[in-house]
Parts: sequence; structure tokens; C-alpha cells
Amino acid sequence: MGLLGNAAIVGAAQYKPEKYQTAPQMFHLEQVADLANQALQDAGLGLNELDGLVISGPQFHEASIFVPAMAAEYLGIEVNFAEVVDLGGCTSVGMIWRAAAAIELGLCQAVLCVIPARMAPLAPNEDPAWMAEAMRYGGHSTAFGAPEAEFDIPYGHVGQNSGYAMIAQRYAAKYGYDPVAMAKIAVDQRTNAQYHPDAIFKGKTLTVEEVLASKKVADPLHVLEIVMPVAGGAAVIVTSKEVATRSKNRPAFVTGFGERLSYKSPSYAQEMTVTPLAQAAKQAFTMAGLKPSDMQAAQIYDCYTITVLLSLEDAGFCPKGEGMKFVRDHDLTWQGDFPLNTHGGQLSFGQSASAGGMSQVIEAFHQISGRAEGRQIKDCDNVFVSGTGGVMSEQGALILQGG
Amino acid sequence: MMSSFKPLPLATKISTPFWQALKEQSIQLQQCNSCDGWVFFPRNHCSHCLAHDLTWKPVSGEATLYTYTVARVPTMAEFSDESPQILAVVTLKEGVRMNTTLVGLQEEDIKVGMHLKPVFDKVDAKGNTLLRFTGVDSDLSVLEYQDPLVNLPKNSQGQVQVPINNLTALNALVTDDFSPWSEPLTVDQGLINAFADLSGDDYWIHTDPEKAAKESPFGTTIAHGSLVQVLQSRLPLTLPYEIVGFNTMVNYGSDRLRFPTPVPAGAKIQSRARVKSVASTHKGLQLILEVHIHLVDNDRPSVINELVIFYR
Repeated sequence: MGLLGNAAIVGAAQYKPEKYQTAPQMFHLEQVADLANQALQDAGLGLNELDGLVISGPQFHEASIFVPAMAAEYLGIEVNFAEVVDLGGCTSVGMIWRAAAAIELGLCQAVLCVIPARMAPLAPNEDPAWMAEAMRYGGHSTAFGAPEAEFDIPYGHVGQNSGYAMIAQRYAAKYGYDPVAMAKIAVDQRTNAQYHPDAIFKGKTLTVEEVLASKKVADPLHVLEIVMPVAGGAAVIVTSKEVATRSKNRPAFVTGFGERLSYKSPSYAQEMTVTPLAQAAKQAFTMAGLKPSDMQAAQIYDCYTITVLLSLEDAGFCPKGEGMKFVRDHDLTWQGDFPLNTHGGQLSFGQSASAGGMSQVIEAFHQISGRAEGRQIKDCDNVFVSGTGGVMSEQGALILQGG
Repeated sequence: MMSSFKPLPLATKISTPFWQALKEQSIQLQQCNSCDGWVFFPRNHCSHCLAHDLTWKPVSGEATLYTYTVARVPTMAEFSDESPQILAVVTLKEGVRMNTTLVGLQEEDIKVGMHLKPVFDKVDAKGNTLLRFTGVDSDLSVLEYQDPLVNLPKNSQGQVQVPINNLTALNALVTDDFSPWSEPLTVDQGLINAFADLSGDDYWIHTDPEKAAKESPFGTTIAHGSLVQVLQSRLPLTLPYEIVGFNTMVNYGSDRLRFPTPVPAGAKIQSRARVKSVASTHKGLQLILEVHIHLVDNDRPSVINELVIFYR
């Protein structure tokens, strides 16, 4: 069951992460076309070869319905396959496997997966309140009848910070907690960011002491263990094997994937410390016929350090409860024995809304295709990628392999 | 626009028994008649077996602490008065989990797995109640609603002085009850004629008593709606509050202006008002004062004016 490994990432583009205040404003359709153009050039393919489109629907500025048709029309293409993915931080991983599956089913040959994540200019009388409202509630629904509006928000259970903090606190009670190991996750990734020209924190190093001295937002999480939102945007081209062979780059074949949605509010998780990634990663490895130790790098969604820790455990890189030991025992930098988030992760590269997770996909592709420049790891054939949406509520895994 | 009031649960038809029970200091959960499973949050089906056969039953509220965090940055500005928030997830004896906050506990005494008991927290004057938890040794079982206006100072007119930065108190000003009536004022033909001269609106229904006696559906001349509206300045309101600590106050206009009932020449009018809403916006604190002007002894207002006032 699953993918045959006949679809591959052959091109990618992403905007340099920038602070919202200083980033250019562009209509989302404009970003789609611009990112598509850059990704196609990266792949060495033409617009006329695109026949599939996967796009992020929620908060698309110019439309809330018929988004793929509008985007295809703007691009000037016709497609055999269109999909909107709404999985928060798991959107990117969800896009790639859907594109790969559509290709393997023979629906299409070349799919654009695109997430515009710069601000669009507002109309003269447009009220940005809806956006402010959506951001204020951190993805919680405030609609009448939504369980979150009724049973989360009145108690102050709002946003991601406290949810992840509660997961971390539960983990601490079950397995113990080493703040130094948790800080090291952020620090090693910051080291990696020094080798990526576009990283938002390039030129700014970080120490464990600085992480531990930073403000506690919600116990036990410090502010330097939490991503900073930035403007950005990303696009990836996934193609059939035939098209991939004509591409400029060494393709990264999608040989395994998994996806799991477990809940919306983490309070209702069967067990908060066991993430949906446990199932998703197991399926991905089984599909690819590989195991965690076969990976030369891991690009793990990192909205928080605790996300990385639990993902390392549940993906099978170390036994449950031994994540902190694993972090202490390994050098997680690109030159180390366990290269993790070699671009700096979203913690240090930048998290551009739901395009943030695509930075992990693109870094895996760059490592496999040998284009990771000053941070290139040797002999990189197999990379594990994860995505996480909500408060660890929706997760996905990809196994990418060099062809 | 951002509401500045703490979000309260808005009960649905499905969940009403839960919130109603809390008001009566009882915890009710749904149990499935088919598989005996307990269900939370409230639903129309069993979350274990999907049967649509649930019964509300009272439970003790005994619980253990599943996890918690001390939020040192308020999760929303509205919660800054309870900072740090001790957010928690508890597991009730029946096995269901719920979001809550812990009260009456020292941070160092909080441990995952500890036993907890419920605290009924009455959060407003209407008796709306949130379910919080505390340690089993605590004396706490009910938190009575504290009117945030009670402990504030009053000015020489007896008005409670509400600081511009006290959102909780500002929101407590919002009420369905109108202020007492102002002193009455007679709207005589002289006033109406003066307004006709000033505004240029000399339509006969306002200014020609003879023609109006014969042809007007009211049998008399009537005051201009705009005239009655501006006469508000001569009907001083006795509001129970004074907002203090702002730099400027701006009358931003009206969200809604209606003239539902005409005011005949010679009639007496009076007015009253209530605070309809308070919200913090990028323009400052927005207070909507709903002002009604009535004919004396008439239930229907002659003017409804929802004044938008900004303080900053």
C-alpha cells in the first residue's frame, strides 16, 4: 500500500523570511505566480508542463472559495488535479504527498504546491479586523457552536503557547525534564542558521544560557524556544519520474508518507505526550521500506523545542522518554552526527505561517540535490521530514530519497 | 474591532444543561445509555459508540490534574488581571478531561496527578459560572461574583470613577438598565420655529400650526427629529459613572439614529441612557452610549441614538 516512489520534488522557491512590517506586500495571486515562476525556473521546466495545483486555501486574500480555479486562471494554466490543503503547519507535508499520489495515479505530470505567506495589500476600506481576530485567537474557532469557543477560550486556553507548554509539563511529569537539553535544540539549529544566507537569524548566534535566561512565556517554555512569525511564502514542483529525469536538479523522490489528525484541542488527546506523528512516521517508514537509522538528516517541524523533542521520539529516532538524552548525546548541527533542521529550522530560519513547514521540505530537497551550499552534508540520500499543525493535533511525515 | 471583555461561553441547545447546572453549583455530565461511557464536551452523540442516547447526570467533580502551565504572558489581554494564569487540564473521576484554571493554590504546590476538587466561579452578575479547580484541602468551593465597580472611588456627584485602563470595570458598566430619567423639557412652537430658521427646514408640518391642525396626521405641528436629537444637551443625564485617566474624549458620531415617535409641539420630553458596549480598538477605548429621548409617560422612544465615544 502507498506510494511507489515514482514522484519527485524537482524544483523549489521560497521568499526570504522577513519581518511583517518590512516585507513587501503582494496579492496572494501575485505571490502564487511569482513563486511558481521561480520554482519552475529552479526545476528547468516550463509553465505549460504544469497540470496539477495544490494550494493553501485558508486566509487566501483574494477569495475564500474557488481558490484553485482562480489561481490557475491567474497563472494561465489548466489542471487535471486541484486541491486545497488546510492542515496548519502540516500543510506543506500534506501538499507534497497529495501531489505525489495524484502523479502516481496518473492524474497529472507536474504539480505546483504553493503557499503565499506575505501580507496582501488591503483595499482602501478593507477592515483588517478579521485577520487580527484570527491571529488573536491563535487558530481557535470563535464561531457559535465551536467547542473551543465554549470550553477553551473562556478559561484562557487560547493560542499555541499554553497548549505546547501543557504538553511539555505533562512530559516532564512522566519522563523528567532537562531545560538544558531543550535549549540545546534551539542552539544547534541557530548554529545551522549561520550557514543559510536567507535565515532570519543569520549573524546572530545563540547560547544555552541565553535561552534559559530568556523570558518564560508559559512554564516550562522560554521565549527563545518559540518561533517568531515572519512573512514569507514557498512553492515546490512535484513531477513524475519521466519529467524528473529532464529536470536540472537531482530529484528527491517521495517514497513514503503518513498523516494523522488526532484532535483539535490537545486536552482531548488520548495521551498528550504521544503525538499523531507516531502513527504517521511509522506508516511513512514502512511505505519507504526504511527505518529511522537509514536517514542522513531529519527536517522536523519546530514551532517549539518540545515539538522537536516529541517528534524525535515518536518518529522512532530514539525510544519514548529518551529524547533529552538523545539531544545531549548528539551533535544536531549540519556537521554533527545527527543533522537536524540544517537550515536553522523555523526557530532560526523563520516561520512564515503555513509556508513555514515548507522550509523543512525545501531544505530536505536541497540537501538531497546537493545544493545546500555551505551547510551541505555528505552523501545525503534519505531525509525524514515532518509537519505539525495546531497544537500537535495534525501531523505528517515524508521520506524523501535521492534518485 | 476587538472586544475587550473576557470571552464567556455561549451555550448552545446541546450544552445548556451543563452551564445551567454550574449556575446551580452542580456538575452534570452526559452518560451514554448504550455503552455507559461519559461524554465531555457536550454532544448529541456518544463519543465512544456514536449512539444518540445520552442522559445528563450529576457527578462529584472529583478530579486529578492531567497537566498545567503557568502562563506568564497573558494568553489574551483580557486575562491580564489574573496573570499569571494557571491553565490546567483535569481528568474527572468519570474519565473525561476538561480545560480549566486552578485557583487557590501556590505554584510550588501544583503537581501533575494531584487530586483536585471543583470551584464554582460566578463570573458575572447574571450568575454565569465557570468550573475551576483547587486542591482537596482548600476551603474554596464557590467564588462569588465581585462587582469590579464596588471598590472604586466615587466623585462628589456620587459617580463611580472608572480608570480608562481598568477593562474589567469598564465592561461592568455595560448594562441593560437605563439611567434615571432626566428633568423634563417642553418643546414649544418657539423652539421649533427657531430650529426651522437655523436649519432652513421650514416644512409646514413643523412650522404651520393652522395647516397642521387640518392636514397633519398628528393634528398639530411636530418637532424636527434632528431638533429633538440636539435637545439632548438640555436634558442632562445622570450617569452612574465617570471615566477618568484619559487624555481626550471624542464624540465620533452615531452607530444608529432613529426617530420612531414624533414629538408634537408643546410636548414634554425626557431622556435616559445606558452603556451598550465597551471595546478597545486601534482608535482607543470605544464606548457606545445608547441614549433614548421619550415623550414623558410614553414607552416608545422619540429618539434612539447610539453615540460612539472614543477615549484615549
